[in-house]
Amino acid sequence: MSSPISPACARPEPALSRREVMAAGAASLALAALPASTHAAAPPALAELIARVTEGAVPERARITFDIPQLVENGNSVDVAILVESPMTEADHVRWIHVIAEKNPFPDVARFHLTPRSGRADIRATLRLATSQKVAVVAALSGGGYVMADADIVVTLSACIDGG
Amino acid sequence: MSAAGRTSAIALLALAGAAAAQEIKPGSAFLSPQMQRQQEDEARNPGWLWVEQGEELFSRRDGTAPTCLSCHADPRQSLRGAAARYPQVDATSGKLINLEGRIEQCRVDRQKQPAFGYESQELLGLTAYVASLSKGVPLAVSAEGAAKPFYEAGKAFYERRQGQLNLACTQCHDGLVGQKLRGDTISYGIGSGYPAYRLEWNELGSLHRRLRACSLGVRATQFDYGSDDYLALELYLAVRAKGLALEAPGLRR
Amino acid sequence: MASFNARITMPAEAKAGEIVEIRVLVRHPMDRGGQVDSEGRVVPRKILNRLTVTYAGEPVFRYDMHTGVSANPFVSFTTRAVETGDLTFEWREDGGATFTRTARLVVT
Repeated sequence: MSSPISPACARPEPALSRREVMAAGAASLALAALPASTHAAAPPALAELIARVTEGAVPERARITFDIPQLVENGNSVDVAILVESPMTEADHVRWIHVIAEKNPFPDVARFHLTPRSGRADIRATLRLATSQKVAVVAALSGGGYVMADADIVVTLSACIDGG
Repeated sequence: MSAAGRTSAIALLALAGAAAAQEIKPGSAFLSPQMQRQQEDEARNPGWLWVEQGEELFSRRDGTAPTCLSCHADPRQSLRGAAARYPQVDATSGKLINLEGRIEQCRVDRQKQPAFGYESQELLGLTAYVASLSKGVPLAVSAEGAAKPFYEAGKAFYERRQGQLNLACTQCHDGLVGQKLRGDTISYGIGSGYPAYRLEWNELGSLHRRLRACSLGVRATQFDYGSDDYLALELYLAVRAKGLALEAPGLRR
Repeated sequence: MASFNARITMPAEAKAGEIVEIRVLVRHPMDRGGQVDSEGRVVPRKILNRLTVTYAGEPVFRYDMHTGVSANPFVSFTTRAVETGDLTFEWREDGGATFTRTARLVVT
């Protein structure tokens, strides 16, 4: 389990406080500054990318319905829908949902921050995927645990190299 | 003509018309069901972001120039159906003019403002807005009268082999419709969804931009935006699509 | 120059306690940068990196975006209708520029 001072064990806050906004902002900027390709020859494995956001904890494969097309029409705009089973109460809610695209130049794609006022942990968004790869979503629960889901997707080439 | 003769002539015409109309499907018919839904969803189709910009430009005052609105009051009514009649021959100049051309003509001749320029964000916005006012209206472009020579030129372009790949539009867009070209399904190449938000472009673009992409696709000369070649082709395509609903702002791959 | 517009689709009215879906579409090229321009300079990244939504002053949703978010991004999220009030949407762009839009929710 993570150390007592890690955010995973911190007392859950009902709203996005200024400090949490600043801290999370700094963390996500730091993640963005580390492209997969600046590491050793092979980009970090998906497991490592996940461990970075969970601070080492292994998420449970449960509770998440992750909708993403298996065959993507155009990598420029890919629809995703993420639903995490959660009562979204003060005591038990999803704090954030993080999306990782393992082979994108910058694999940390997005993070959605929710609160008990969200009612549901129900997100849709459009992403940009560089190539065929595994896409993972990791959700942080207020109780301190993590859940995840992933999908293998294929990005096809358009018909003509037409220069746009 | 006898009654019998008239009946069979009408029947033949109806068959010819029906055959053509039955075959030709718009580009949206070749989209996944999800993309088809997205095209129709004003909360989701990014093309509406340009329509919004166009609507704002339509009433924007540029110094002392009259606004579009000052001549085209109540555009939802007054301009409904207008976009479905382009391209057309401009009565004054005798030249073939498309919707983009007409908007620029108004801007320069009547509003006394500098032209926006083809494929500028402003012209795209205005074209998308004016076209959206005719959304669902059946295309009604004439191939007759003054338009006839332009129609013939467009038809010749469509049937002519071009480029390093030595392909004519008709070979794919009539002969190979429904077949796969890598990840894509070949359509009739109708163009009734333009201006369209194309995922490939990450933005909205005009029909001429799409035609330039087609030309590059077969490694042929890319003609200029607003060129006579593409205008004539645009006319031919619009006649080919007669009766199909105008779809702007379209959503395409 | 491209203008910033945002299309926010949500009900104008909701019953207290009801969960409303809010759909947001914004115009932005979300340029991931890295390309080399005609003068040999590397194009810098310029994306919207954050959307913060507050409801009657309380933050209710935040979307941290990186280069893997599409151009002209769409996002949809939910929030409980608690009181009549304004929802404020604030986007932050690389470089610090911010864009704001407001939508009112009447709660009966």
